[in-house]
Amino acid sequence: MIDLLAIFGYKFFQNALLGGIISAAACAWVGLFLILRRESMMGDGVAHTAFGGIAIGLLLGISPLLTALVISVISVLGISYMKKKGLANSDAAIAVIMALGFATGLIIISLAGGFNVELFSYLFGSILTINTWDLVLVTALGLTTLTFLGIFYKELLSMTFDEDAARMTGIPVRAMSVVFNILVAMTIVVSIKVIGIVLVTALMIIPGLAALQLNLSFRKTVGAAITFGTISTFAGLVLSSFYDLATSGVIVFTAAAIFGFVALYRRLA
Amino acid sequence: MERKPVLEVRNLDISRGNESVVRDANFTIYSGEYVGIIGPNGGGKTTLLLGILGSLKPDRGSIQILGQEQDKFRQWEKVAYVSQNAVNFDSSFPMTVREMVSLGRVGSLNLGRKLSPADWKAVDEHIQLLGLEELAEKRIGQLSGGQKQRVFVAKAMVRNPEILFLDEPIAGVDPETQEAFYKKLSDLNVAKGVTIIIVSHDLAAVFCRMSKVLCVSRDVHVSEIGEDFEPTEILRKAYGEHFHFVYHKHECKGDFHD
Repeated sequence: MIDLLAIFGYKFFQNALLGGIISAAACAWVGLFLILRRESMMGDGVAHTAFGGIAIGLLLGISPLLTALVISVISVLGISYMKKKGLANSDAAIAVIMALGFATGLIIISLAGGFNVELFSYLFGSILTINTWDLVLVTALGLTTLTFLGIFYKELLSMTFDEDAARMTGIPVRAMSVVFNILVAMTIVVSIKVIGIVLVTALMIIPGLAALQLNLSFRKTVGAAITFGTISTFAGLVLSSFYDLATSGVIVFTAAAIFGFVALYRRLA
Repeated sequence: MERKPVLEVRNLDISRGNESVVRDANFTIYSGEYVGIIGPNGGGKTTLLLGILGSLKPDRGSIQILGQEQDKFRQWEKVAYVSQNAVNFDSSFPMTVREMVSLGRVGSLNLGRKLSPADWKAVDEHIQLLGLEELAEKRIGQLSGGQKQRVFVAKAMVRNPEILFLDEPIAGVDPETQEAFYKKLSDLNVAKGVTIIIVSHDLAAVFCRMSKVLCVSRDVHVSEIGEDFEPTEILRKAYGEHFHFVYHKHECKGDFHD
């Protein structure tokens, strides 16, 4: 217990905690909209394209999160373009862009003659290695996302529910969709250090799904999703430190356990 | 008293893909009218509505809404629309009736702004107007078909529009609920003077309650519904020569349009 309390005094743990909570909150809120828009796999697809961006950053010796951000934004815009032009439906567009992004990463790895273990820390997350620069980026992108959602959630909700009716009321549906897609990309980049490319979709979807089980109003559903996401991250971080386990894995298991508990509670209540 | 035109359509052609769906539509709708749009499935009713609302680009012709050309029209807050798919939502969608109605106050005039106390007052007034007070905090997914329709009308009306468009909002509900719904719309039409334009398959409700009918089957036939209204000709033009519908004005029940 003493060790557990002492760990909160370490700078690396404080960085991890702050970065993790901001990332979890952004993931939960963006993820809730993705579920309601029936685009749950968008997070997974874009995260995999971020792998290509990470590899480019490592190859060029610049911040991998920044290059991942650029590639992720290009990929969400690419998915939207393919849908809009009728080239593919949502699922197929995500599959194509995801494969393309991942393939980019593989080609760059082969060009570079392989990378060190750092690339794998982005694949599976390395929340305890969040440095000050990462924290600044995570905080800036995470808070931008949360602020935008806080200001425009009514408009996003309106267009999520009925796009034609929202357009009729003068909401700039196309522009809002583009901005939302960019937020999805930003949220994924924010979460790569926390939970990794492979598991980021879990942090986006499971808290929202658990919150939806409770049959609450929209505002309360958002609150519940953010609470579940941050509890999962906090508990995952503490438990993994205590038992020396992979943090991202414990975060996902904690989130899944919350979902299971809430779903069971709903059926028994 | 001179009637004010709120919608003027002239020589309107609309296509979907390569197919002509609406051809040479010409009609005027005046303030306070209660208009039914009828016609066979695939005849172009929804296409006509989407063309008027700017979601589909016409091939030819002009549309004037509240005296302005539609492509220059910016006062969309004066127009409300309840789409065909409005009631077919995922029942787990996390919104209460009050939250849903409040979305009607969200639009170009208050983008990104918190709803004001006046907005919430209007929301509660319209919840009351549509008889939804007891359901205000209920999730929309828990409502019956008829209750959902009233929620969407409340959401559309809460902006105090001058024109309300509804696209088959009562499909798949029992006749009694449909009847109550049309009655509620009649009341709103009279009480608030709002022009209502509704796509419907319920011919009896249209002929008994409404003041004008547009019969759409690529061509658009328009008729006032007065005491001496005889629907046979207009119906046969749209539904075919063998279509038969018996209508006697005196058999319309209740306080129907007269």
